[in-house]
Amino acid sequence: MIVRIANVLAISETIKRIVLEAADGSVLPAAAPGAHIMLNIPGPGRVWKNAYSLVSSGSAYEIIVRRVVHSRGGSAWLHDHAEIGEKIEISLPANLFPIARTAQKHLLLSAGIGITPFLAYVPVLRAQEKKFEWHHCCKLVDAPAFAAVFPPGREARLHTGRNSLNLETLLERQKLNTHLYVCGPAEFMDAAVAMSKKLGWPGAKIHTESFGGATGGAPFSVKLAKSNVTVDVGPEESLLEALENAGLNPPSLCRGGACGECELPVLAGTLDHHDHFLSEAQRQSGTSMMTCVSRAKTPELVLDF
Amino acid sequence: MNLIVKPPETFRGDFSMRNSDSAILRLPFPFHDDTYMYAVNMEPHVRGGPTAAYDAVFDLDEHYLGDMQDRALVLAEDPARCQVLPHMMDAEWDTLELLMQSLAHDYPEHFSLTRNGEEWHWVNRPMNIDDTFVFGRAETLPYPPFEYITRQVQGDFTIQDQRDNNLFMDGGMVTSQADWSLNFDLGMAFHEWHGPVPVAHEIGVFDRALKYLLRLQYGKPVRRLNWTLTVNPRLDTSPENYPLWGPDKASVTPQNVGEKICLRVELQTLTRLPRSNAILFGIRGYLIRLEELARVGKWAKRLHRVLRDMHPDIAEYKGMIRYRQTIVDYLAPFDDGAVLNPGTAPEQSSL
Amino acid sequence: MSKSRPVYQPFRIDPAGRAHLLVTDLSHPTEVENIETWVVHVVAPGIQAQGYSPRAFRSVADLLLTLTSRLAREPVGFRLYAVGTEPFLWDVNNVARAAGLGNGEIFLTHAGSLKRRVYCSHCKTMNEDVTENIVKCRGCGANLFVRDHFSRRLAAYMGVAVDAEVPGEIPQAEVIYP
Repeated sequence: MIVRIANVLAISETIKRIVLEAADGSVLPAAAPGAHIMLNIPGPGRVWKNAYSLVSSGSAYEIIVRRVVHSRGGSAWLHDHAEIGEKIEISLPANLFPIARTAQKHLLLSAGIGITPFLAYVPVLRAQEKKFEWHHCCKLVDAPAFAAVFPPGREARLHTGRNSLNLETLLERQKLNTHLYVCGPAEFMDAAVAMSKKLGWPGAKIHTESFGGATGGAPFSVKLAKSNVTVDVGPEESLLEALENAGLNPPSLCRGGACGECELPVLAGTLDHHDHFLSEAQRQSGTSMMTCVSRAKTPELVLDF
Repeated sequence: MNLIVKPPETFRGDFSMRNSDSAILRLPFPFHDDTYMYAVNMEPHVRGGPTAAYDAVFDLDEHYLGDMQDRALVLAEDPARCQVLPHMMDAEWDTLELLMQSLAHDYPEHFSLTRNGEEWHWVNRPMNIDDTFVFGRAETLPYPPFEYITRQVQGDFTIQDQRDNNLFMDGGMVTSQADWSLNFDLGMAFHEWHGPVPVAHEIGVFDRALKYLLRLQYGKPVRRLNWTLTVNPRLDTSPENYPLWGPDKASVTPQNVGEKICLRVELQTLTRLPRSNAILFGIRGYLIRLEELARVGKWAKRLHRVLRDMHPDIAEYKGMIRYRQTIVDYLAPFDDGAVLNPGTAPEQSSL
Repeated sequence: MSKSRPVYQPFRIDPAGRAHLLVTDLSHPTEVENIETWVVHVVAPGIQAQGYSPRAFRSVADLLLTLTSRLAREPVGFRLYAVGTEPFLWDVNNVARAAGLGNGEIFLTHAGSLKRRVYCSHCKTMNEDVTENIVKCRGCGANLFVRDHFSRRLAAYMGVAVDAEVPGEIPQAEVIYP
């Protein structure tokens, strides 16, 4: 659907908050905390499809865009060029990181740009009077920027420098009815998940939202057996993006390797898996892949699409 | 949508329920082919399909008042037919919003919804309902939100919580079911509540269906068809009341089979809800007597072949063992053996 | 064979857990290792076992009540094991879930009698200690066929009138769940 940029707020030099409203003035469908939308960002010569967590919930759609040096392009362009009144195409919200309904306490852990889904969680947890605790970690130099969006309140704490948060102590004192939510860069999430498992947290109580690592890599070409075309995948784009830019319509949903929607059967080629969906056995068999994050080790891949 | 609502007929006791010609022709007939086997068979729930029953997002028909009256009777007798677990309140409001918006949009001559911030005004003319309430505050409605709205929409509904890579039936309004109990199944996981269905587990139908539903997207609902046979157009064929409707099964004869045996079709819809991330499962049931259905030539022939050649385990699970042969014998004269087109459309526009 | 019937694993301590408790309605469980254990065992009032020898409760009801207050004090990393008859296992499961334990933290192992708790679909009464495939409901008198469809929430099997279609036509009951 088409939305209009209603406001652009500079939170800091590198962070902007963008408020979206329906282009036709209608009420946007309610989104739950943890939901994300895809934005079609028109850049020079290409269109980026990037996922952004909504930092609001209900019928107000707000996102936070961070200008990072190694940005994959879309966020940087959006940060630099977003203007009030501009129209942009977005997907309907999808939620792969919802608040666990049966938890009695919610422990939120984030780092860097992983702050975004929890900004949507907090007002809803408070309105529903749910017990929660939020610890956000960031580099000292970034602290002022994050502090500007961080909500006030006793439940939420900002830690600068990872060693100021004692993760082990925090995790081991939580009562049985607590669920853990982790969001941030891959190494941060891996460390948090490993520590919680070591302390006996069961997988069912650990919820993660990955914003994916870089999906670029060596270029390769893909032969599509059913569509009867060959598509080149450049070093800065994912296989999924290359297929879309070639005018094809492969399935996709989360675009972060987690949900399984973009899985396509592989007929030939050696795969470079980066997803969180396939089992080890499925990866070894080499018979399917997630086009949104995975690539090929061989110069050519053949897909049954 | 043009909806003419009849005065209420009965789905119990004297079973005064009759289908008009247009009700017969709009039936979502469930058989595409001459044989039947379980399949995942979900398709996008878009407007339009083989009959008019597919035109609205939540279909209402001439039996609206009769259905709702029967529901009210069931609930008065057994309130446990509508239950929602406490953590599903968001899903209750999601359901209320979705059903109200759909009915007001698809049947504007019968329903209207006015939203003024959180103050909502809902009018249901056929049922003489005119209520103002605050969205999000349950005490401003005469019933809890899920019960309130499902007392005004045809079909049973369940709300399924998604967690632990699974779906849990954590709420429902179940008054017209084909022999399953909400009070027993409430809280069950996907494979558990499908436990009693034969054959399907072995061919992996439920594994694939669950994976598919876990990725169901907001704004992209899906639908599928299910079916069974009932003696008399009885809506409440619950396990709870089995001693009431069970004896009917032994009362079917070659003389009364056309009038007594009904095909019961379920048009099932699955919709992702926005705030709760739960799935609303709609089970919209349609009842049609064999003698009414037989007026559509293609359907009479196809139904004859499907029932004649059915897998015995499925026939047993569908509860038709006692009268299957009687039905097949009744339908046989309608079947000239002609090759039929695949698909469920009636292929005639009048009877 | 219904897919709602639980499938049980043999008793095994989960090495990922930090604290462990085994509860059982058998009075002499054989699985007791170096693990805190609670049993149901009629003992003379005032006598309790200490430390790692089994702590004895006078009844299942007493054990379950104490379990609730124990779980309210435990941190994450706790593992609960239940060994015994099926109704006991799922009563423990309900207490554990209410306290916040979930998948990967509760382990149920069936041992001892196969007796079932049967829910009457017609009057909602629970019938305990059912060993035959047909039971007369103690609430409404209906003759219930004991199905294999199982509800974890109710911790019971579904019972439905066996002679609903032809009243009075009741097959001979057999002992299926000794």
